[in-house]
Amino acid sequence: MSDNLSELSGRKGVVDNLFEKMTKAAEATGTPAKEDLDALAEEFLIGKANTYGTATFYDFMKPENKGKEVYICNGSACLCAGTQDSLKSEIEKHVSADKIGHMTCLGRCHENGAFHVNGANYSARSGEEIASILNKTGKARKDRYNVLAAGPDCLTANYPGFDEYYALLDQVLKTDPMDVLTEIKVSNLRGRGGAGFPMGLKLESCRNTESDTRFIICNADEGDPGAYSDRYLLEERPQAVLLGMMIAGYAASANWGVVYIRAEYPEAVSIIEDAVRELRSKNLLGDNILDSGFKFDFKVIKAAGAYICGEETALINSIEGQRPEVRIRPPYPTQKGLFNKPTAVNNVETLAAVPWILKNGGAAYRAIGTERSSGTKLICLDSFFKRPGIYEVEMGTPLRSLIDELGGGFAKPVKAMQIGGPLGGIVPVEKIDSLNIDFESFGQGGFLLGHASVVCIPESFPMVKYLEHLFEFAAFESCGKCFPCRLGTKRGQEMLTKAIKENYKIDRELFHDLLDTLQEGSLCAHGGGIPLPVRNALQYFEEELSPFFLQED
Amino acid sequence: MTTEPNISTKYAYLNGQAFEIEEGETVLNFLRRHDPSRKVPTLCDSPNLDPFGSCRVCSVEVALEEGGKRKTMASCHTPVTEGMILYPHSKSIRKLRKNILELVITDHPLDCLTCEVNGNCELQTVAGEVGITDIRYPEGENHLDKEKDLSHPYMVSDLSKCINCYRCVRACDEVQGQLVLSMAGRGFDSHIVKGADTSFFDSDCVSCGSCAQACPTAAITDVFQSKSSVNAEKTRTVCTYCGVGCNLEVTATEDDILNIRAPWDAEVNSGHTCLKGRYAFQFYDHPERLRTPLIKKDGELVEATWDEAYDLIVSKFQDYKKNDGPDFLAGISSSRCTNEENYLMQKFMRAVVGTNNIDGCARVCHSPTALGMQRTFGTGAATNSIEDLKYTDCIMVIGANPTEGHPVTGAKFKQHAMKGKTTIVIDPRKTEIAKYAQYHLPLRPGTNVAMLNMMMYYIIDEGLVDESFVNNRTEGFAEFLEGIKKLDVDEMARITGVDKELVRQASIAYASANNAMSFHGLGVTEHSQGTFTVMQIANLAMITGNIGRRGVGVNPLRGQNNVQGSADMGVQPHQGAGYLDITKPEVNQKYNTFYGVEVPSHIGYKIPEMFDAALDGKLRAIWIIGEDVVQTDPNTQKVIRALEATDFVVVQELFMTETAKYADVVLPGASFLEKSGTFTNGERRVQRVNQVVPPVGESKADGQIIVDVMNRMGYAQPDYTPDGMLEEISQIVPFFAGIKWDELGENGKQWPVAKDGTDTQILHLDQFKRGLGYFEFHDFAETSEILEHGKEYPYILTTNRKLEHYNCGAMTRRTGNVEILTEDVLVINPQDASGNGIKHGDMVCVESPRGKVDIRAAVSEDVKPGVLSTTFHFPEIMVNNLTSDVHDTEAMCPEYKVVSVRIRKSKGKYAK
Repeated sequence: MSDNLSELSGRKGVVDNLFEKMTKAAEATGTPAKEDLDALAEEFLIGKANTYGTATFYDFMKPENKGKEVYICNGSACLCAGTQDSLKSEIEKHVSADKIGHMTCLGRCHENGAFHVNGANYSARSGEEIASILNKTGKARKDRYNVLAAGPDCLTANYPGFDEYYALLDQVLKTDPMDVLTEIKVSNLRGRGGAGFPMGLKLESCRNTESDTRFIICNADEGDPGAYSDRYLLEERPQAVLLGMMIAGYAASANWGVVYIRAEYPEAVSIIEDAVRELRSKNLLGDNILDSGFKFDFKVIKAAGAYICGEETALINSIEGQRPEVRIRPPYPTQKGLFNKPTAVNNVETLAAVPWILKNGGAAYRAIGTERSSGTKLICLDSFFKRPGIYEVEMGTPLRSLIDELGGGFAKPVKAMQIGGPLGGIVPVEKIDSLNIDFESFGQGGFLLGHASVVCIPESFPMVKYLEHLFEFAAFESCGKCFPCRLGTKRGQEMLTKAIKENYKIDRELFHDLLDTLQEGSLCAHGGGIPLPVRNALQYFEEELSPFFLQED
Repeated sequence: MTTEPNISTKYAYLNGQAFEIEEGETVLNFLRRHDPSRKVPTLCDSPNLDPFGSCRVCSVEVALEEGGKRKTMASCHTPVTEGMILYPHSKSIRKLRKNILELVITDHPLDCLTCEVNGNCELQTVAGEVGITDIRYPEGENHLDKEKDLSHPYMVSDLSKCINCYRCVRACDEVQGQLVLSMAGRGFDSHIVKGADTSFFDSDCVSCGSCAQACPTAAITDVFQSKSSVNAEKTRTVCTYCGVGCNLEVTATEDDILNIRAPWDAEVNSGHTCLKGRYAFQFYDHPERLRTPLIKKDGELVEATWDEAYDLIVSKFQDYKKNDGPDFLAGISSSRCTNEENYLMQKFMRAVVGTNNIDGCARVCHSPTALGMQRTFGTGAATNSIEDLKYTDCIMVIGANPTEGHPVTGAKFKQHAMKGKTTIVIDPRKTEIAKYAQYHLPLRPGTNVAMLNMMMYYIIDEGLVDESFVNNRTEGFAEFLEGIKKLDVDEMARITGVDKELVRQASIAYASANNAMSFHGLGVTEHSQGTFTVMQIANLAMITGNIGRRGVGVNPLRGQNNVQGSADMGVQPHQGAGYLDITKPEVNQKYNTFYGVEVPSHIGYKIPEMFDAALDGKLRAIWIIGEDVVQTDPNTQKVIRALEATDFVVVQELFMTETAKYADVVLPGASFLEKSGTFTNGERRVQRVNQVVPPVGESKADGQIIVDVMNRMGYAQPDYTPDGMLEEISQIVPFFAGIKWDELGENGKQWPVAKDGTDTQILHLDQFKRGLGYFEFHDFAETSEILEHGKEYPYILTTNRKLEHYNCGAMTRRTGNVEILTEDVLVINPQDASGNGIKHGDMVCVESPRGKVDIRAAVSEDVKPGVLSTTFHFPEIMVNNLTSDVHDTEAMCPEYKVVSVRIRKSKGKYAK
């Protein structure tokens, strides 16, 4: 947001990180002490308002978070599964209500009943299980989900062990960086975070911006309710992510890799940290890696609870210790990113695909999938499927085959699926046969592939409640910078709540004006994206929703 | 992420017509240039802030081909590119704007009729433009119950009226660099906070008012309700407070000043100014303003008429002139006054009294600058302009604390430093700029020459001399080089107390920057080696070739608003108007002819010499205009004895200052708001000062007072008018040749101004004023203050200024500023404090060989052990009881910056 703050934050480099210091200061009580914030403001010369302003932004730093002990997941999947009310009353038997907070999506969408306590995530169904977790008597149970590749296993293949896996790095570092870049461009790998921007072009732009320092950032802020594929990669294939970043760094002439992982994934943070330690112990980090002259190192940053940090410019602001508000573009991060330096921000899944591409060639990757959407995609299925889990499919795979063949069909009656996170489309079941899993098919159908998580909306769940939930989420997670999103998401939520609770009918023209304003006016895809699922619902569930709207004469 | 737009294009289309694109401009800028009549409404955009993109009201539709798909884009941050077809007011855009405004108003009070900004509110204007007629949303959550913040003497906030445009936050960041404001919370709960959610008063706010000026509504404003008069008639003038020369827009009724804002189109300060310029104007009609002349009768100053006062002055002056000779009279003119008034005062002393005993406050501030730069370059003024900060790669700030003393320029330096651009600070104290600079060389006070010589040693040693510049444009380098080469840098490092490696690195940074500018203040001049330090700064610029183009040069930060002008006008005993050497026969002849009388050709007294003469019985009368020598000149007790030894003391003032108390006649002058004329700022910019209100009481423009006395002493001088005076000045001051009152415009002109009116941003372009730049080596010499008293008085006290107060404080102490900074304090390092049993807030007795004062301790790491620092804004303390008679060896500027003192915890307040 502010050039000055970016510069001042960057003076101590990425290692001595302001944001990290703030989150550490919050660990003891849930919010940093005023003295700590003032001292950091003084140390970084950024003014007390800025450390305070930043701390109050995040769920796990804001003063209201003080003293919270248990956090209950309030993501879409747990909501639709209906597990959270009883979970809450069970937890309240052990912990007073004021010590219970919320986290939005712990990535346990495949089993629900998710909550966070003592720095770890759990899913529990029975009262005894909850009691044993809270009393630390029972054994922590790692969650289990299916992982299967329907075709090529670019992302889910078995890990062959460190030495074999990292043989690739030696080979890459003997290749000209421009050739590495070309290989990535040839693969036509497009960003898996949702926007689908070609990764090679991003790296190239970063490389072409004159600077003494460049950064590769791994966006591991997988905040979309329903999505846990990044969590899978971080926890189960950490070296793929790190190696992908190193290769990207080599191609973009960047010397720093920053992995920004959401706080809701504590296990992922420690696994990635372990993986970085492993690399260091193998002498694969630092100034002159494998005698190639290539210099690279990692910084792992644990976030603090803000969905908007998944937006790349907000993420950059977050790392800098600024308020994670969305920046205007241009300048693009590849021109002026972290600490005002050229920066390529890529999603976990995008980066994890890079080693495969370098090992097998860009052309081989390009041969997978469709003409415009190459490669494979991880899809997360929630607990409404008979076989919840993560499925790696070739781009272009029919949605029907994913649902029936891989997911085993629905376990309960489902009327629609929200695919691609809270800003993704609401796909009614009758549309399943018309869609293939790729950017183009979803776009043409009036939906959005996004990060490709699937959250089922059961027959029994009122669509109006789901829309209220979406607006509530959008309002709660809005950064507040642009007028349409800050005000519009709130007003949308209020209208829906009023229509549900009172005898209030929403003016259709006003509602459509609101959706237009959000879509056309918002600064980023957060406010700009929320109208899509709402419009889908209005289109496909008109009958169910019309009682909540004023009837035209 | 979409594809990166290409910026280097030529035409875009509007209403079916092609219009040229300026490199890098935004769509909004393009539309403003080519379709000014159809305004694109905006809320978060502001003239001096970077594009931000929060309000989205400026959105327009853009297509990339005729009939192509239109995309909605915010015009304020979208670069316009070749072939864009713009639809800034299409139906869907008009609807979008209206819908956004409707949302904004769902969380905004509808109390326009009782709101300060009614009629001047940007939200109101934009809501009107887009045509809001009703709010369709049901009543929801809002922020209408936010409480007002009335904690501060100037700043006011009512955040219920905040629309979250961030303009205040950005102004505090991008303009002032103070970082006091931020948003807190998120989403709908986002709200402005000052500091860590405190009040304006308790925050680190420096009250520059940029946030209030930036705010589009009444969410942040000031006690003067300055936004209520945005559309009222205003008078543009120039600030009286420092050498930056900020332009001000003053709103007034016929007899009352309502408020002051900073004009956006001012080249000097574009919409910015400090709390002194913007808010500290209440002194002008303070009850304590002198409203009539006063004459001392039986030891009491009593009210008198102008005729009585004039008669007394004229008879006394004529008597002394006749019986003792003209050199028994002396005048001190004022840098607070206009050029025209200063010209008149020196003319009065020279042509009417017949003496060169005329001097001004430049003596006690920048006289070494004028002399040193004249010796090296030929001109004693800034070589470049503040605008050059845009073109420089490196700034070096020596002995100056501009965020306190020159706040608007200081804020620009701070922006430079905050952005990570090379910044070198040479200062004993950890100033605000030093905190943000890469290189801070915290030298012992009084060792500037050693430091600069060391820097040149390293530059030469590293082979970074610009040889072509040195060979083609300078002389004396060989001898100079010999002097430098003989230096023992280890010894210099020991003397300055700064690690030599740090000095080496800073030297390399300065010398290897493509363009490096140096700025200096009184920390350079107010030393026994003041002039030599200035010459070394000039030498440093010459050996690195940093002269004669944009973004380089030697730039003194002139202290008082018109200290440059007073010297230009001849307020000094050795040079007449236009810096002509009065001892030269041809110059003497020129002045004789021009003034129509014989003027003396022997050099007169400098201010310290005037006091010595008085004590020697060689001064009968002195006329002091706008200068509180008792409070601000060094060695207070000596100054008092000198005034007491002078038979007849005339003091022309706004207030009953410490000096006025010793006067036989006190004349009430007019403040800058009550008269017209010109001030010349530190970058040689001559700007128009325009009268806003009539002088209070019977006070008169200082120029008119001088004219009255001139006429009564038999010299025919027309009444004081700025245009008439400038006409006269332009005929005698060569570099004012083309300056005419009517042609100065809003932003003034930088001298030299040629006859045809062309002005000059950069001096010494192809050759120096003196021909070749002159290198002269001087080695470091310890000040006699330390040599004589250092053992007995082991601490070094250095004096300086605070933002809130101006000089003796006569003006600022009579404004709300005094509620913000209430007293002078002694800044002391924690180590020295604890070593003397002193705690923060304790009273400390500070004693020098001249006297002692009691002052409150402020314990801080901003000074090193052994160094103390304080200010002299408050007569209650009278810090100049401590300062010495030591002067710059060349220009006689007093050494305020090195005072040998000892300290102890005070047992009680020392009775003066």
